[in-house]
Amino acid sequence: MAEAHAPLLSLRGLTRRFGGLTAVDSIDLDLAKGGLVSIIGPNGAGKTTLFNLVTGLDRPDAGEVRFEGQDITGLSPERLAAQAIARTFQLGRVFGNLSVMDNVLIGAHTRLRAVKPAVPIIGPLLELGLALLRPSSVKAEEERLREEVKTILARFGERLLPRIDQPAYSLSYANRRRVEIARALALKPRLLLLDEPTAGMNPSETAEMQGLVAELKAEGLTILLIEHKLEMVMRLSDRVIVMDEGQKIAEGPGEQVRNDPKVIEAYLGHGLSGTAEQESAA
Amino acid sequence: MSNINRRTLVKGSLAAAIAGTALSRAAFADTAEPILLGVSGPLTGPNAQYGTQWKQGFDLALDDILAGGGINGRKLAYQFEDSQSDPRQSVAIAQKFVSDPKIVLELGDFSSPASMAASPIYQRGGLVQFGFTNSHPDFTKGGDFMWSTSVSQADEQPLLAAYAVKKLGLKKLAVLHLNTDWGRTSRDYFNNAAKEYGAEIAITEGYIAEERDFRSTLVRVRDANPDGLVLISYYSDGALIARQARQVGLKQVICAASSVYSPKFLELGGDAVEDVHVGTRYFPEDPRPEVQKFIAGFKKKYNGLEPDAFNAYAYDAMNMAAAVVRIGGTDRKAIRDAFTKVKDVPSVIFGTATFDVASRRVKGAMNAELVVRKGQFALWDGKPT
Amino acid sequence: MSSWLDYTINGLIVGNVYALVAVGLALIFGVSRLINFAQGSIYLVGAYIGWVAVVQLHTPLPLTIIFVAVVAALVGLIIERFGLRPLQNSVRIAPLLATIGISFVLDQLVMLTFSPNPRALPSQLPDVRFQVGGGTIGPLDLLIAGVGISSALLLFVFLRYSKLGWAVRAASQDRDAAMQMGVDVNRVNQAVFGIAAALGGVSGLLVGMYYNQIDTAMSLQATLKGVVAEVVGGAGNVPGAVVGSLLLGLVESYGVAVFGTSYRNLFAFLLLVVVLVLRPNGLFASARQAPPEPLTGTFIAPSRPVRIPRWALLVAVAVFAILPLLPVSFYVLQTLINAWLLGMLALSLTLVAGTIGQVSLGHAALLAIGAYTSALLSLTLSVPVGLAIIAGGLMSAALGTILISPSFRLRGHYVSIATLAIGEIVSLVILNWESVTRGPIGISGIPPLSLFGYDLIDPKSVYWFSFTVMVVLALLQARLLSSHLGRSFRAIRDDDIAARAYGLSLNRYKSLAFIFGGFAAGVSGGIAAHLYSYINHETFNTQQSILALTVVILGGLGNVVGAVVGAVALVGLPEVFRIAAEYRILIYGIVLLLLVRFRPQGLLGTI
Repeated sequence: MAEAHAPLLSLRGLTRRFGGLTAVDSIDLDLAKGGLVSIIGPNGAGKTTLFNLVTGLDRPDAGEVRFEGQDITGLSPERLAAQAIARTFQLGRVFGNLSVMDNVLIGAHTRLRAVKPAVPIIGPLLELGLALLRPSSVKAEEERLREEVKTILARFGERLLPRIDQPAYSLSYANRRRVEIARALALKPRLLLLDEPTAGMNPSETAEMQGLVAELKAEGLTILLIEHKLEMVMRLSDRVIVMDEGQKIAEGPGEQVRNDPKVIEAYLGHGLSGTAEQESAA
Repeated sequence: MSNINRRTLVKGSLAAAIAGTALSRAAFADTAEPILLGVSGPLTGPNAQYGTQWKQGFDLALDDILAGGGINGRKLAYQFEDSQSDPRQSVAIAQKFVSDPKIVLELGDFSSPASMAASPIYQRGGLVQFGFTNSHPDFTKGGDFMWSTSVSQADEQPLLAAYAVKKLGLKKLAVLHLNTDWGRTSRDYFNNAAKEYGAEIAITEGYIAEERDFRSTLVRVRDANPDGLVLISYYSDGALIARQARQVGLKQVICAASSVYSPKFLELGGDAVEDVHVGTRYFPEDPRPEVQKFIAGFKKKYNGLEPDAFNAYAYDAMNMAAAVVRIGGTDRKAIRDAFTKVKDVPSVIFGTATFDVASRRVKGAMNAELVVRKGQFALWDGKPT
Repeated sequence: MSSWLDYTINGLIVGNVYALVAVGLALIFGVSRLINFAQGSIYLVGAYIGWVAVVQLHTPLPLTIIFVAVVAALVGLIIERFGLRPLQNSVRIAPLLATIGISFVLDQLVMLTFSPNPRALPSQLPDVRFQVGGGTIGPLDLLIAGVGISSALLLFVFLRYSKLGWAVRAASQDRDAAMQMGVDVNRVNQAVFGIAAALGGVSGLLVGMYYNQIDTAMSLQATLKGVVAEVVGGAGNVPGAVVGSLLLGLVESYGVAVFGTSYRNLFAFLLLVVVLVLRPNGLFASARQAPPEPLTGTFIAPSRPVRIPRWALLVAVAVFAILPLLPVSFYVLQTLINAWLLGMLALSLTLVAGTIGQVSLGHAALLAIGAYTSALLSLTLSVPVGLAIIAGGLMSAALGTILISPSFRLRGHYVSIATLAIGEIVSLVILNWESVTRGPIGISGIPPLSLFGYDLIDPKSVYWFSFTVMVVLALLQARLLSSHLGRSFRAIRDDDIAARAYGLSLNRYKSLAFIFGGFAAGVSGGIAAHLYSYINHETFNTQQSILALTVVILGGLGNVVGAVVGAVALVGLPEVFRIAAEYRILIYGIVLLLLVRFRPQGLLGTI
């Protein structure tokens, strides 16, 4: 079935070692367009490292990453962002001193056209000049994006819109996570990687977030999700991948994975907790 | 009260310092307003030591001027503004002096960047900038209000070269110089003169003022195989080089420019500066009355401290300023004209100083050939070392 | 060749001297992630305490060393307790600035107590010398080597095996976690500062004896070389600091051997830049280690900038614009001209250090490039002064960006160190490239400011000219900040990883920031050159760079109005304190410390 047409994202034998530790050990993964695959596993299983490898923040020691059939292994995060791959971070990396509006506008950075002419060599200088002169095309583009940001923020009801000009550091934890997702949406991603979007949220906030992810999936967005809250994973995922100590120990539909003895052992052995694992995975 | 050293006054309490202002001690207890000179120089920052040496020389000269009856019955005083030898501050000080009608003449600054940055302001403001330590050849080209008693290196270095080559018989020289405008200019004059007298310059090495380690430089010098080392240095770096030269095993004759002439050179150099030859403008046993008066007065005033070259420059400069003001009065332009008129002002450095009107400098510096013997500067007796 | 043996020995000897300072710096960096710019001042204090002991109290050497170590340790404890501990929870740049302020204060106190004249510090060791190669070494060389190596070893063992050492390492790796584990971080910091200061003091004593000379200018140079050695060895790595020092000594010595003395420091700083670019964690770090700074941008504290209403700004500009028409003295105008020139530099620095987070300690190099370009163009090619100044700005933008680009991949304090080195390199190139720059002789007779054929000579017209240029640059910068580039720069500053994940190329935007900032700095340098009529390699020195950074932090990082306010304050304060003569730099240092302590986000706040 999945092989009928090429998957949007596919990983083959992806491996990353830190000293003696193999953080990600020859992982294979296929994600079809419009699909949602969840990655679960105990802390330190290598999930975030895998995200870093896919989004270019880290380079694999072996294996390849393909996006729409093209090899994107080891490309810089900037290039991958330009390919419309967006991610959120486990620890909620908003730009603390930027307003909510500016944070989300950064998400739309790769879509700037008028102010960033695709001219080689002198392109950056033109960008500087256009930013200072601001011809009407640049102004119009900025205005359009600002309206778009407001539309995106409206998805979060009254959570963010009233705080649109506040600096991000002044927001509550949950609101920062929302800003992160809004920023990712502003990129108009073709692939969205969500790293524990509900970490630190209370049950009602989690439910709200779950609703949003479901909505995004319904709109046809392709999503790779790291999540500890199994309830949410079971509801949303087409398929679940379980990682432990860098390896994929199980894969399949949620219910099947849930009852896999290997998975149960891995979780019992390490103990599942909602606390954050080390981002850098060093 | 006028005899209280300002330094101790300042040390006493900060409040007193603020109350006292930068107005220096006056030399004459008269009811008349003092004739005020402006001084721009470093009292803090990396060159602070030179500013303090200036003050010692100035204050001694002011005592002499007081003893001689002041300036036509008025006292002479100076206002010292700390520039840190920073051009940004020296230009502000220049505007301050130029716009203060009480200031009739300015002395300083210490370094060329600080002095020459301020020159256009003094020139346009019509206030004489008497840059008595500014040897940069372009300093007096700044305008007809720039005058200097700094010994021109065009005059001084040939004297040193003659000492090294003609008197000491050195034929192959290694020249180490401070890589500043002064050191570079001096080096060029020295090298030309030395070559003219028939010596070969085996190697020249320029070093920055902050340098303390010269061992590798001296290995280079050793490999050039000179028969003499010439130091165009100040006393602190000169002493360091002499010490390290002995440590790396160089036993050649060392000859140094007059700027090392300081008791500090002996103190810092210790045994290593024994037998170092120094060409200077005066020496302690010099029978000239102005030298004897200067040295005796200095020792008396500063608890037996030996004066050094910078003390002497400052002392001479203040005496020259007094002589000029005696002729020119308090009108700034008249003071400028007075520089062309003063004649034969007694001077430690020049014997008697008279300005060359074209170059606005003084020619004919005195020459004394000294050598360090038993830890003291002594007149060279003509014996090789 | 026997000479190479001598160069090697000499390199190791001077490397020894550097090691003493570097070890102390490494220890402090290891725990506090802080480059202690006051370490050189403690070294200075140690040298003078040693002088008192040796020359006035006539103590024997072991007692002298103990005496110096104890006094220096006390100074270190005082610095830690009153200078740095209160800043624990403020911006990371604050402690760095505090150490600079502390070093001002200590240097000035020593200068005021002992006078700036150099003093002899006689060695108390017997004067025997051993022949090694062509030269000799003495007992002091061996003692210095012994102290350097044994203190590094002792520290290494202490850190590895003692309980306090374990706590120190825990605190250096993760402060918060260490605190949760019951480590008393304050006690750890105290221990570290005490040890590092004792070591710094003793090194000042020994080095003073070694050269038989101590003076108040030795502090900055010691810090600079120590920092280079420490970073080359791997910041925070104590044995690495010793090896880095020896390597630095060797590189300098061989540099002198091959190219001559005047290139010596050029090699030191090139070594630093090369190491930072190729191995940012130092030579002895493993290749793929966790980055030296936390990934999230914590360099800039969250702050709510003071909003100044537009009408107030307009009124301020109007007042300053008509100031020359009022009866103010030329001295006041000249002081303000200096403030406007410094303001342009501060605008430049606040953009790169504040807005995009590249804290540059070598910004004076941009002034120098602009000044030399403008001076040489107008003198040798008779380019009109106005055009020459613009050309100076453009050259500074282009060349400055290219020179600083190696530091783009660095983070946090490493950027500061790299830019410090690049600044020194520019100054040394100016000194040595005589055919173009006229070397130490400098450039004299630079034509005065002029515009469209009219000379701007009297202070009023210079004032208006520089004020106008500064206001225009400030307006342009404000416009830049309100564009998409403003938010992109600030996003990179706040979190460069997240910024990259959203398509912001760090090289592209850091370059743009330096191009824009370089222009402002170059214009400032160009105007200064024509104002002074004479410049040489000393006109734009490290002190200028430090002053500019102080202005920027005082005004508030990234804050355009703050940069100008800071410039006026820091040009004005020393002039106001002029009345206190020798005390004014001391007062200035204390004011700086108080500002850092009570308003680390600057007067007008970070933007």
